[in-house]
Amino acid sequence: MRLLQELRGALAGVAAVVPGLALCIALAMAGNALAERLALPVPGAVIGLAAYLGLLLIPGDRLGWSRSGGQLLLRWLGAMLVPALLGLGARMMLLADAAVPLAVLLVTTTLVTGVATAWLYRLAGGRG
Amino acid sequence: MAPLLASLAASALVLLVFAAARRLSGRLGHPPWASPVLTAALLLALAMPAIGVPLARFTAAAMPLRWLLGPALVALALVVDANRALLARNAVPVLVAVGGGTVIGLGSAVLLARWLGLPAELAAAVATKTVTTPFSVAIMMRVGGPVELAAALSVSTGVIGALTVMPLLRRLGFAGSAGPALALGVAAHIVGTDWLTRRDARAGGLAALAFVLAGIVAALLVPPLWGRF
Repeated sequence: MRLLQELRGALAGVAAVVPGLALCIALAMAGNALAERLALPVPGAVIGLAAYLGLLLIPGDRLGWSRSGGQLLLRWLGAMLVPALLGLGARMMLLADAAVPLAVLLVTTTLVTGVATAWLYRLAGGRG
Repeated sequence: MAPLLASLAASALVLLVFAAARRLSGRLGHPPWASPVLTAALLLALAMPAIGVPLARFTAAAMPLRWLLGPALVALALVVDANRALLARNAVPVLVAVGGGTVIGLGSAVLLARWLGLPAELAAAVATKTVTTPFSVAIMMRVGGPVELAAALSVSTGVIGALTVMPLLRRLGFAGSAGPALALGVAAHIVGTDWLTRRDARAGGLAALAFVLAGIVAALLVPPLWGRF
């Protein structure tokens, strides 16, 4: 009996994330198709993101059913980046050969970016 | 092994190793240098060849995970939606800071790469270093740039920024939490945001808003300008 209840709970958990997953996949594919068709110089998924955001901003929270699926994708986003890093392969040598100038570049531009952002916020009258 | 089965096994293994790396990072108190993405990649890069699986084959098999990156990027709309009250209260300064900071981040990286004489492929990869990895991967795939290098530089930038940006801003006398939070979001994206959220949830919300908006700005700017610099 208890096993049955647990099984039902697990199935309900899976069912809760399916609609949001399906929506995000559909919007990403639609964005890609649109970017291809119109030769837009924007990644298709970013068009999907804009569409999803537009839908979420409609008053009345009509897309509440999509949240748990979307959150699941966000929770595992880091894992999806692992294959890209593993794909570095032979290019590791390129990184290693330029390690010093690359480190200088990364540290300098990261600090410049941070200071510029905080400074612009203050300049534009931001509070808090 | 059948290709489908190999894909499922490789993807499941990446998820498993990533979950372990995330748990390890939690045990250590979530320091930026123990980024679960980096740890998981390092563990797999060492383990796969050791058990006789060529890394390139393993990476190709884990393709389904990479394919999910597009839908996950769409789901980032939830981050903006969750913090829309913060945005509405301070819309103009937030947009000026994030837009300007992103442009300065992109521009400084491209110019410095040329000045330092980096090899062409690396110089191209730094163009998206100031945006979070899902965006840099999406942008590089769109323009046909070096996806893997750009991903590595985005992750490294996140770690460097999470370790250095806040101390520098404090030293320069930036008071308050909103400006530094946005700065951390733009300069150190997810890694910095994650670090900040554990200390100050409201500031973390602003940082999250900043890294998604910065990604959108870069996605609109980089592809049209690709190859002109």
